Amino acid sequence: MKAEKRTGGGLGLALLVVAVAASAILAACRRNAPPPEFSHKVHLSGIACGAPGQPECLNCTSCHSPAERDDANRLPEQSACDGCHRDVAVTQAVLATAPERPHGVIRIDHDQHLQLPAIQGQCLPCHAGVVDAKSPPMPPMSKCFGCHEHEVQWERGECTPCHERQDLAQTMPVTFLKHDAAFLRHHGEVMAQKQQALLCQSCHTQSDCQSCHDVTQGLSVEARRPEKIESGQVHRGDFMARHAIEARAEPAKCLTCHTPQTCDSCHAARGVSANVANARNPHPPGWVGTDTQSEDFHGTSARRDILACAGCHDAGPTTNCIRCHKVGAYGGNPHPRGWKSARGTDAEMCRYCHGS
Amino acid sequence: MPLTGGTSVVSAPSALALFLLVASPGRAEENAGGSGDATKTESADRFSVSARSETYLELYEQALVPGPNGTLVPTELAAPIHEYLLANAQDLDTPWDTDSVDLEFAAWARLWPTKSDMERPFDGDVQTASVRYRKGPAWVRLGRQHVAGGAARFGRFDGVMVGASHAGLFAEGYGGFTVLPRWNERPGYHELGEAEDRLLLYPGPAPERPGYWLAGGRIGYSTPRLSGSLSLHEERRTGDVDRRAIGVDVGGRPMDDISVGASTLIDLDGLDFADTRVFIETTPHRLVDVGAEFSRAVPGLLLSRQSVLSVFSESNYDEVGGRVTVRAQPWLRFEGNGFLVAYEGEPGARGEVAARLSVDRRHPTLARVAYARLVAPENGYQSVRVSLSRALSPRIATTLEAYGYFYDDPIGGSSTSSLYSGTATYRVIDPLELLWGASLGHSRFAALDAQTMVRATYSFDAPPPARRR
Repeated sequence: MKAEKRTGGGLGLALLVVAVAASAILAACRRNAPPPEFSHKVHLSGIACGAPGQPECLNCTSCHSPAERDDANRLPEQSACDGCHRDVAVTQAVLATAPERPHGVIRIDHDQHLQLPAIQGQCLPCHAGVVDAKSPPMPPMSKCFGCHEHEVQWERGECTPCHERQDLAQTMPVTFLKHDAAFLRHHGEVMAQKQQALLCQSCHTQSDCQSCHDVTQGLSVEARRPEKIESGQVHRGDFMARHAIEARAEPAKCLTCHTPQTCDSCHAARGVSANVANARNPHPPGWVGTDTQSEDFHGTSARRDILACAGCHDAGPTTNCIRCHKVGAYGGNPHPRGWKSARGTDAEMCRYCHGS
Repeated sequence: MPLTGGTSVVSAPSALALFLLVASPGRAEENAGGSGDATKTESADRFSVSARSETYLELYEQALVPGPNGTLVPTELAAPIHEYLLANAQDLDTPWDTDSVDLEFAAWARLWPTKSDMERPFDGDVQTASVRYRKGPAWVRLGRQHVAGGAARFGRFDGVMVGASHAGLFAEGYGGFTVLPRWNERPGYHELGEAEDRLLLYPGPAPERPGYWLAGGRIGYSTPRLSGSLSLHEERRTGDVDRRAIGVDVGGRPMDDISVGASTLIDLDGLDFADTRVFIETTPHRLVDVGAEFSRAVPGLLLSRQSVLSVFSESNYDEVGGRVTVRAQPWLRFEGNGFLVAYEGEPGARGEVAARLSVDRRHPTLARVAYARLVAPENGYQSVRVSLSRALSPRIATTLEAYGYFYDDPIGGSSTSSLYSGTATYRVIDPLELLWGASLGHSRFAALDAQTMVRATYSFDAPPPARRR
């Protein structure tokens, strides 16, 4: 391979941008025949009814029987429509376009819930969305949590009494623990607040965590999931070229998964480590000198970004820093002003400098 | 079943667990799709099993790069084959209890058939091999597992974890031998910086594992509205303290549309706050999400306490910023985030704006264009990322992506780098999915970087049923 400066990348990128934008616009302009829509509001309150010569007024149970089992499809039968609607093709089409259940089947004893004082036999307290466009047709999970019983189940991470287990893998939380971009950034903190072994692992396995966090695996998660084009994983794209910038921009972030040895092993394996045979000294003139106020003095850089030093020099308590900086040597006290430690100088690591 | 086995690290319990998991999918399927009666009966063990194999075939060239001043370097052909096996079973019965046992196993293996100076011919590891037993509000988990969050941050170990909860209160404890890192086992690896300027060529003598262990615990309170925990973690390396920390994590939802959280990690050895974060997320309008956060880290305190470098610096890294998401239309979303950073007085910034377009329910199509800017102490870049995915049919999906990076200061003489990638996924039969991916790129390391990969994913368990109407 040959490293050289090129300018053709910008043109290629521009062409691809244009191609992608054109594809997206073409896709957006495609029009499918709009599916017939069923209006609950019209059927419940928009039809003149009850008077002589008018049809019987409808309520929820006119079409949806409060079935004993919720695994039944609770859509009305065709016959429920035939009394008023003669065009069978239309009613069939409407029944076929019932809203999807984005979270799969929810197991709920409707009969029991309809008897609760807060509900009083009404469907709309939970399913207000069928007549109110501002509300969802299916109740959000927060609605369920008004009941103490469900809080206990939540506490134990027991999702399966209400959710089917096979649905959980595809059911993203939309109220509690909403799994959006912000959650990805804070999932560590959120997890620490919860009983992760119960709550998180109701849906996730340990392997899900290790897909990203096990940095010793053979392939990175970015390589394993190239089709996830919305992922914000930091190693996507040409990370090799910009990794030093990223490390300088968020130094502590790398330590979430890596240790400094990760840097060193990769550099050494690729022959760009400073300590392999015949390597060049990467440090500027004045790195080790007497001008301690110089920007190029190693102490200045070490104070500012100790992790950059650790990327090559973290050899535990025997790093070559101690050759000059141990007590009595000419390097002086390396500890920052106000430095403190709970360990005494007789601790094993401290003895490398402070020992006799 | 394309099992390639494991290395010597595959334990007998792991193999037994794997056998149990993949040997009875039919039974699990039958039960999973059973009568639909939520009531458990003593005669039917309603457990669920999930097992998946992922096989990766890659092809590319690699080299020890770059040569001095861009000189040509010898390349070697790479065609590694990776195999990942993941399996878990949940809610298994025991003779004395129902739905009380969960098993999990995950491992990877790699075959490197071409000659290489950088990689072993064969490698692999067991990532997880654990069994969990639940009894009422208590549980215990044995085997290779991990602990995450709080003072532990993320640690893998072979050991035991126990937990219990009651009335919102919970407690967890864990301990075991640390799963040792593997990066120092690369051929030709040299450990640097030795005081005597020695080059330690690995693999050296095997570490004495009893000197590497971790232990800790958490107590906390958790409800959907309020949660928090206090955690303690200690990790030893060669018998001495590697990390010793306390973590405090709190969070809550004071209102339906507002979430707040805060966490801090106190290093007990340095007697200081190593990492502190505060954040708030809110939905002021049903179409808008807004978040803000502040964090402060002392990177030196996040190093191993066995590192001399950890006592050389206590510089702070501060960051403040936020993000916003606007769902302008059901098919159009705008996203943006921005952060100001200061690292030992040196300012920096980073941010991204993106537009996401999602259309066509029959052939789901998603397009996303993002622009990002990063200003770091010594360099920075602007980047453009364009992504497109489209399902051509229920069985075929494709993606295209382009990345362009424009550096403020040239890196190795190159001011730009770019990468173009694409994938095509074909679901051959329901359990089997094939993906072909390829990428082309150029950067300071290569005038042309070309890679390709085939991934075969096989799910031993039946796929989830289609969304019911």
